[in-house]
Amino acid sequence: MLRRNVLSTVGFSGSRALNLYLPIAEMSVNVLVLFSMGAGVGFLSGMFGVGGGFLMTPLLIFYQIPPAVAVATEANQIVASSFSGALAHFRRGTLDIKLGIVLLIGGVAGSAIGVAIFSSLRQAGQLDLIISILYVLFLGTIGSLMVVESLNAIRKNRGKGAEVAAPPPPQQSWINNLPFKMRFHRSQLYLSVIPVLVLGMVVGILASIMGVGGGFIMVPAMIYILRVPTNVVIGTSLFQIMFVTMFTTVAQSATNQTVDIVLALILMVGGVIGAQFGARAGQKLKGEQLRALLGLIVLAVCIRLGWDLVSTPAELFSIGSVGGH
Amino acid sequence: MLRLITFIIALIWSFPALAQSEADIQIGLSDETVAITSSFDGAEIVVFGSVENADENLLKQDKYDIVVTLSGPPKRVTVRKKEWKFGIWVNGDERSFVGVPSSYAVATTRPLDQITQAKDLKILEIGFDNLTLRQQAVTAEPQPETQTSAETDQAEEDEDLDSFRRSLVRLKASQGLFVRGIGDIRYLSPTLFKATLRVPANVPIGHHRARAYLFADGEFVTTRSVLLNVRKQGFEQAAYDLAHRNGLLYGIIAVLVAMATGWLASVVFKKD
Repeated sequence: MLRRNVLSTVGFSGSRALNLYLPIAEMSVNVLVLFSMGAGVGFLSGMFGVGGGFLMTPLLIFYQIPPAVAVATEANQIVASSFSGALAHFRRGTLDIKLGIVLLIGGVAGSAIGVAIFSSLRQAGQLDLIISILYVLFLGTIGSLMVVESLNAIRKNRGKGAEVAAPPPPQQSWINNLPFKMRFHRSQLYLSVIPVLVLGMVVGILASIMGVGGGFIMVPAMIYILRVPTNVVIGTSLFQIMFVTMFTTVAQSATNQTVDIVLALILMVGGVIGAQFGARAGQKLKGEQLRALLGLIVLAVCIRLGWDLVSTPAELFSIGSVGGH
Repeated sequence: MLRLITFIIALIWSFPALAQSEADIQIGLSDETVAITSSFDGAEIVVFGSVENADENLLKQDKYDIVVTLSGPPKRVTVRKKEWKFGIWVNGDERSFVGVPSSYAVATTRPLDQITQAKDLKILEIGFDNLTLRQQAVTAEPQPETQTSAETDQAEEDEDLDSFRRSLVRLKASQGLFVRGIGDIRYLSPTLFKATLRVPANVPIGHHRARAYLFADGEFVTTRSVLLNVRKQGFEQAAYDLAHRNGLLYGIIAVLVAMATGWLASVVFKKD
């Protein structure tokens, strides 16, 4: 008996040497697994120039991290990746700070609303469900659009490289007719602040409920609805994402105590390293192929989350402690 | 005078019982605190104990049995049941229970049903099924589905409640928080014993109570308990405390850490 104990103790420490206890998630995790997840998603985000939050949060949930912790911690990780990205754009001057600030005002309001929704959903026991449904809807829509669009591009076999120069559509007249116009010099736009604030707010709500930066919505919306010049779109969107995720991190932490700083740090380090390699790999692939690949990955995550919603669960019951301590 | 005689008679009558119940139990812990550090991945708690004033005859026949339980700080727990609605599985019906031990481990010398009768286990609240899981008084407004609840008879509700209660125990067990170990108590000498209880990595922090029960020939004799303090230590504790006491400051620190990491990354990889 004693010898068995000694042996099992040795086996214990040997196979679990890389385990780390997360202070907020209150569970023991394998550092290598999380680091690889961070690096893998970082690689994809570097390759495709996307934030990666929409892949990281579901992955964390698949790894049994409580969804509430996954979402809030992911916001913290995005601060790191968007900060280094925004810095680069700031140095190159490829961002419209004024536009970014107006977006940000909407974003902070949206994030505050989102955190409040998040808290009440958690109280009602429906948070996990709503997170899953939102992910299935967004990932399904965006993944399908990407796959269809890139397959069309490949079929036409234009082979123009990374940038597909979409002709900017005529600005919608309803946007022109809105009041409270403001001049954005850097973007050479004279535009009502209402659509900018609304866009910022929608992205802020998504940031706090889904743990995403929201670039996948903001970038197309800025290009196609606001008609912001493409050279400042990415930088401005990163600027807004950075501040909104900062605000979300602090608000989640103050309201729900769900930001796990240890988990966030592992993901950040993995993420920034992965992104470097991803960016280099991305230069060697064609734009359409990249988008088709990313679209397929997004659809795969969507199907996995959707399957969990519709398939009969093995365990119908779940437990949760409600309220404080 | 009459009173004195009755007293003496009573004393003589109860003498054998007294002699038997003189047996006592003493316990102590290998560690009085369990420190959760960054490498924490669960722990084994060892409870040492001795049977005192044991009856020689019963000892020889191996008639003493011991049960050691370790229960975590009581919490309120909500059990939810998924229902098929609008084509997807959503959380529907729920029941809240109060005073649920956040973790519960049992170590025994033999299977519980061989140690004593079921009714005694029920009274002593030993074993998963005998824990008192009281339903929290329903205060919420009636939900749409429960409008017919006036017509549903009590028996049906009781059965429902029981299924939630059983699920609570099953889920706690599947999370490794409710553990049972038959034979996890070993005698080191005829009266000295050692019980090994496992606490998982997700053990709740707070005061846990280790309780030993002594049974002689199927009858409950006595019980003793000691407290075990499970707490985070070092960085883990600092992080947890800060997050719960000053979430705002914690959030700001988390943001600063993220900015530092992002800045460092842009410096390190700039030249590439």
